[in-house]
Amino acid sequence: MKKEHIHIKNRVDELPTLAQQLETLGEKWQLSMALVTNLNLVLEEAISNIIFYAHEDKKEHQIDIDFVLEKKQLKITITDDGNPFDPTSKEDPDITLSAEEREIGGLGIFLMGKIMDSLQYKRENENNILILKKEI
Amino acid sequence: MELQFEKKADYTIAYVQGRVDTTNYNEFEKKMSEKIGESDDSVIINCKDMNFISSSGLRVFLMTQKKLMGAKRKLHLCNMQPAIKEIFDISGFSQIFSIYDTEEEALKS
Repeated sequence: MKKEHIHIKNRVDELPTLAQQLETLGEKWQLSMALVTNLNLVLEEAISNIIFYAHEDKKEHQIDIDFVLEKKQLKITITDDGNPFDPTSKEDPDITLSAEEREIGGLGIFLMGKIMDSLQYKRENENNILILKKEI
Repeated sequence: MELQFEKKADYTIAYVQGRVDTTNYNEFEKKMSEKIGESDDSVIINCKDMNFISSSGLRVFLMTQKKLMGAKRKLHLCNMQPAIKEIFDISGFSQIFSIYDTEEEALKS
């Protein structure tokens, strides 16, 4: 079993750092480029939501990201101390609509769900915990 | 993200390079809007060097499409990398955009 931990601050300018750290992890664990790109997308969606919507105060908060690779299963746990928010409760956008009918936005969580095999949410000790799993 | 424009025939061609994500989609949208406002041209976005897109970037594509459709102008996309095409497929965006393999095909259509 392999484990890795990354933590960032709740600022948009931390996103490039996260992308970089993820790339380093991909090299270390010999993950495919395609997978690393997809994980980058998933993390950007999850973390942007936290950065933009989780906190009402202007204070600095930490977001923890834990990676575990066991056999062929990759598990990513994202923990933040923001307002309760369950991304798994969001309704999927209707992707069959025409351009005129399609609403702007609402795709982030949908993409996370499509790329990963499962998304699980729990609220524990005033923290949002989002668990993302994928067989690789 | 880098954005460059060129005019070919009746098209304004936008060349997008690098990542289109949460950190730069505002800039992408602003530059696209400004350029679109300068003429009545139809638009091609050449995605050859775009190697990452997140939902924020997809937003800008959809907004551009809505704007141009409203003005009866065409928007064609071309030269999309397979990983990006996959994201467009998953999002249902491949059905709402005209996507061409090459810029030549996009120009002819």
